[in-house]
Amino acid sequence: MGETMTDELRVAVDRRGASGAVLYTKGYINNVGGEEIANRAYELMDDGVRTLLLNLRETKIVNSIGISILIEIIEKMIDKGGKIGFCSLTPVIHKTFQIMGLANYASIYTDEENAAKELDM
Amino acid sequence: MPHVHRFADFVHELQQLEKASLATQGPSILDAFARHTRFDSGALYLRDTRGSGLRLAAKSLTCVAPEILDPNVRAEDAVLPSPAVVVALQSHRESVGVLALSTQAIDDSMEDDVAFVRTAAAFLSTLLTNQRLMQETREGDFQLKYRLWELESLYDIGLSIASTLNVDELADEILFRMISLTNARRAALYLREDGGFKLYRSFGDVREGFLEAELTEQLIREGKPLTFDGAAACLFPSCETFVAVPIRTGNNDQVIGVLAAADRETREGGIGAFEENELRLLSLFGNQVAIALENARLHRDALEKQVMERELELAATIQRDILPKAIPQIDGVEIAALSRPARQVGGDYHAFFVREGVITALVADVAGKSMPAALLVSALHAVLQLLFAEGREIGEIATELNRHIHNWSAENKFVTMVMVSIDREHETLQYVNAGHNPAYLISGGNIDTIKSHGLPIGILSGTRYVTQTRAFPAGSAVVLYSDGITEAEDMDGNEFDNPRLEALLQQNIDCGAAVIRDQIAQAVDAFVDEAPQKDDETLVIVRRA
Repeated sequence: MGETMTDELRVAVDRRGASGAVLYTKGYINNVGGEEIANRAYELMDDGVRTLLLNLRETKIVNSIGISILIEIIEKMIDKGGKIGFCSLTPVIHKTFQIMGLANYASIYTDEENAAKELDM
Repeated sequence: MPHVHRFADFVHELQQLEKASLATQGPSILDAFARHTRFDSGALYLRDTRGSGLRLAAKSLTCVAPEILDPNVRAEDAVLPSPAVVVALQSHRESVGVLALSTQAIDDSMEDDVAFVRTAAAFLSTLLTNQRLMQETREGDFQLKYRLWELESLYDIGLSIASTLNVDELADEILFRMISLTNARRAALYLREDGGFKLYRSFGDVREGFLEAELTEQLIREGKPLTFDGAAACLFPSCETFVAVPIRTGNNDQVIGVLAAADRETREGGIGAFEENELRLLSLFGNQVAIALENARLHRDALEKQVMERELELAATIQRDILPKAIPQIDGVEIAALSRPARQVGGDYHAFFVREGVITALVADVAGKSMPAALLVSALHAVLQLLFAEGREIGEIATELNRHIHNWSAENKFVTMVMVSIDREHETLQYVNAGHNPAYLISGGNIDTIKSHGLPIGILSGTRYVTQTRAFPAGSAVVLYSDGITEAEDMDGNEFDNPRLEALLQQNIDCGAAVIRDQIAQAVDAFVDEAPQKDDETLVIVRRA
């Protein structure tokens, strides 16, 4: 039987104190999805967040435009003196991040618990 | 403030702008010039990174300036009020922009200010060029990494051939990677079914069902990716651009599926056509997918075969366990038996019952093969054990057995059976032959047949079987067998047949039961030669001393 998967991205935010937040994504990180993440991330940065964890547990696909937007978010956070981490990546996305250089500027963690501990959230 | 200090402050401010993106720094640059010089209005044009034209990056409120600066029109003529100074922002490589500035406070000391602006503009040109080079380097680095990632994706799909043998998991991975590789918004995987290509997995809004016959034929005929722009009636509702790639196996050049993707995203946020390099990549990807899918299919077939073989093995075990482990030892009676199951388990069965000195031997053949036949043999065995234990005579046993088998077994399931009871005291042989091959009775130097006198067991519920009786004096023998013996085939498909069996019996008419059994077995083996055994072979011989 044919099986259909959705292409929409949903984002949820969980604030962790005054300067921390976890951003949960569900769906495809493409141009539209990447912009959605960027908007939320920039709002959080403007609101004083300097440690941002992106939990990609429910994201299975990311394309090159989505990656370039994620790089912009990382650069912006570094400019502000903050840090960004990613957790719960699929093996394919993990490898993609490593090849595309995201792993050089942001930490990648196996799960949220581990990430929260390491990022002191 | 001395000029040198003014200039140092100005340069410092411009340097701070270096981190801002090209798109947002225009107003800040113009503002810096307004604050550090006497030119308080004007326009700034910067070279568009996506094209070759000069695009308006900033202008003061009082200034009128076109969005794009026509290369054939001077900035002095295009910008209003007419600027007092126009500076081309130029690096050694190319023009990076144009700065046009005006002021209402024109006096004799303007020359110094113009020189100041020109020097600052030269510095700005270097700054912008550096920024542009850095951006190009970063984009080049990104593109390089992206190509590496494409190659890695192809390589990974190759690895999946060895690791992902589940078609469902493989389908997900294929879709995800294809979408990532092409920057498509939607994608679908179609696999061959009922002569067409049916939607198997999709991402995003995709029409259910089969690919259009026309598109299918075109893909098979051309064997390469096909692209469409503005494909309103395509399988992705309301898509703007669309690509379809055949999944073609290498060994017999068969198209086993189709990969399709729609609406390729562009960096500018719109939808673009699928480009030539993406089509080449998709072709390569399609080849890898073909191997992966074929591998998964072969694995699935192997698993199914494994399950079937396990079933056969289980069926063989069931059958082996219910066949007699030993032959009854009775004074004055020699019994020999042979049971050779075929590789594909059939339904041959034989048994012995001894009641008050009367030995009963039977051979039965259940219709069908494999597990269903083995289960029916098992039921037959159980019912026979109960009926014989009740002390019934064999005609009655056959009648009762028929009723049970007819009621319990599935439609079209039946059993042929021949059953003989040898009573040494009365020197008789009683028998029931329910649709089975004729048995042979050897007595007084003659060979006679014991033919069927009733329907096979399980055909009609009300069938009654009446016990038949023959004389069975000392020295007599009875030969029961299944059709696996007489229908054993040689390499040319000829059957061993009854005349050969009868000739063998004639040659060994005075021999013991074991000798007759061995002679028949050897003759069948020699006849069959290298041909595979197609059916169970069962032989039971009972001889009175």
